[in-house]
Amino acid sequence: MTNPLAMKGLTVQNLGKNYGPKAALKDVSFTAGDAVFTVLLGPGGAGKTTTLRLIAGLEPQTSGQIFLDGQEVSRLAPRKRDLAMIFDNLALYPNKNGFQNLASPLIQRKRPIEEIREKVFAMAAKLNLTLVLDRLPKTMSGGEKQRLALGRALVREPRFFLLDEPLSSLDAPLRFKLRSELKRLQKEEGHSFLMATPDFTEALAVGDVIIVLEGGAVAQVASPKDLYEKPIDTRVALFVGSPRINLFKAGASEGNLNFFGLISPIPESLKEPLAKETGEFTVGVRPENVILGQSLDKNAVKGKAIVVDIESLGRSLAVTISREKERLTFLAPSLDLGLLAIGDQVDFFLADPNSLLAFKPDGRNYLT
Amino acid sequence: MLNRPLSYWQIPVLILALALTLFPVFWLVMTAIKPPIDWNASPAIWVPSEPTLINFRTLFDPAAIRAYGVGGVSQAATKAVIGSILASVSATFLAMALGLVSAIGLSRYSRTSWATPLVILSGRMFPPAAIAVPFVIIFSLTSLMDTYPGLIAIYTAVTLPFSTWTLKSFVDDLPREMEEAAMLDGKSRLMAHLTVTVPLIKGGLFSTAMLVFILNWSEYMFAQVLSNTELSTIPVQLAKYVTATAGTLYGVQAALAVLAMVPLILAGFFIQGHLARGLTFGAIKK
Repeated sequence: MTNPLAMKGLTVQNLGKNYGPKAALKDVSFTAGDAVFTVLLGPGGAGKTTTLRLIAGLEPQTSGQIFLDGQEVSRLAPRKRDLAMIFDNLALYPNKNGFQNLASPLIQRKRPIEEIREKVFAMAAKLNLTLVLDRLPKTMSGGEKQRLALGRALVREPRFFLLDEPLSSLDAPLRFKLRSELKRLQKEEGHSFLMATPDFTEALAVGDVIIVLEGGAVAQVASPKDLYEKPIDTRVALFVGSPRINLFKAGASEGNLNFFGLISPIPESLKEPLAKETGEFTVGVRPENVILGQSLDKNAVKGKAIVVDIESLGRSLAVTISREKERLTFLAPSLDLGLLAIGDQVDFFLADPNSLLAFKPDGRNYLT
Repeated sequence: MLNRPLSYWQIPVLILALALTLFPVFWLVMTAIKPPIDWNASPAIWVPSEPTLINFRTLFDPAAIRAYGVGGVSQAATKAVIGSILASVSATFLAMALGLVSAIGLSRYSRTSWATPLVILSGRMFPPAAIAVPFVIIFSLTSLMDTYPGLIAIYTAVTLPFSTWTLKSFVDDLPREMEEAAMLDGKSRLMAHLTVTVPLIKGGLFSTAMLVFILNWSEYMFAQVLSNTELSTIPVQLAKYVTATAGTLYGVQAALAVLAMVPLILAGFFIQGHLARGLTFGAIKK
């Protein structure tokens, strides 16, 4: 790792936090770059909120260091770290109206009144909050409260932003809209964001870099594309993607992978690592890599199985087929709904045998 | 507040409940303005034909009642009124200040689970008589008997668990992120609590202070046991009007009781607007 004292952005090194005998975080290290949208992705209880709270200084870390723009801030009081945090419950002041909420960070920093008015009105205009400035939070809609919390964080222009599941309270259409606004704002203004979310679609949609936390430790740091295509282990592979990736016990022989009754040529990139593998390992098939029907290509990797479940996802169907107690779920066009019934035997083939993933017996990806 | 009309059967029930609650107050006020001859009259006199203020005068001039041919007590109630105000106000202030600090500490900075209601409130689970005896011994040894600091200390000690526990529930209801947002925005921990936590639990502070004040104001046993000549409170003085030596000065006793109600009624009237909870509603999701 590069010297954290020489770089802009946020670096945490070997961060640990114990609550009594229980370790909530163990040895977390990562860098969230300057003007980068970094996402902390992980299931509930992975330590996302704890990480953000330690960075903010709201709780002392048990071990490790935190650097911000080349300065160690590990022991500084929250107000001396110059960062803003948006909490998952927003934490708007219920007794203050929109203007007072937006102005509070500036008032607390004792800015001149003229500057406060100017900045608050500019922020309200930017976030479309002008009409709620004289209203109390309880009279605002979910989206308005969300934007107000965002505005309150942005108005002070801190050097770093921490966002703790800021969109989790919104319904789906609003979440979609606000997350793209968030992304646009971050890019236009060059802000540095570190956002925690349990939602991989959100992470893939907005993140420049995604840090996957699992069980209080960093599992993987990757770009959205790499995270999806090269998950570091089966746990990350299962967490990122919906429907979930299909995992099968597999073996290799004569240059082929054998799983789920299929014989598929070993992808070029896997040839070397798999050459040494003598026992069983795991193959991962993404749901979009399976196509229903018969291929025109006679070299296609194809098979037959029984349909055991059909679930409509709207635009597509999640079809689960079964063969010798193993199950495979894939996506089919909704138009196929009328042609499929549970119990049918169907033909299927792989869209791209080269995008199969392979994991070692301990769950690690061969390629990472 | 109630914002739907009462149904037809609720009205008589409420009237009955009010009558039961208010009758003793009515009787007290009436007795306070009765001349001595009406105090014990049989059949009872509900509303005196010749209302008088002699009972109130007697409170501060014990000899005044002798004009009616009844005996009196030697002590004026002045010392008791001053004593009650001094002890109750100081002890309430102390119990609230310490209780607020303890409540914030327990709610925000304690992850341990020892702070259970059992532990905090155990002092209140004994009958006061049981803890009064050791206090008498301790106070005798430390020269705190019959002094205001002694009485204020014991009132604070007795009401502090209550104020701590009640205020803790108000602080618990408030999301800690509100204070933390203020800390990130430039406030120290202390200032964040003073400027964010305290205003948001204002209703809880007022209602708790009111209850603590009532407990102190109406406390009898500790004041009786720990006082001698220097110290008196209204409840102690009240008891002096019906004794073997003083006779049965019901009217004077009622007059002091009426005086004692005044601050509570005034306080209740002024803070009733703050008693409503739900100030934080709508500021957090869910």
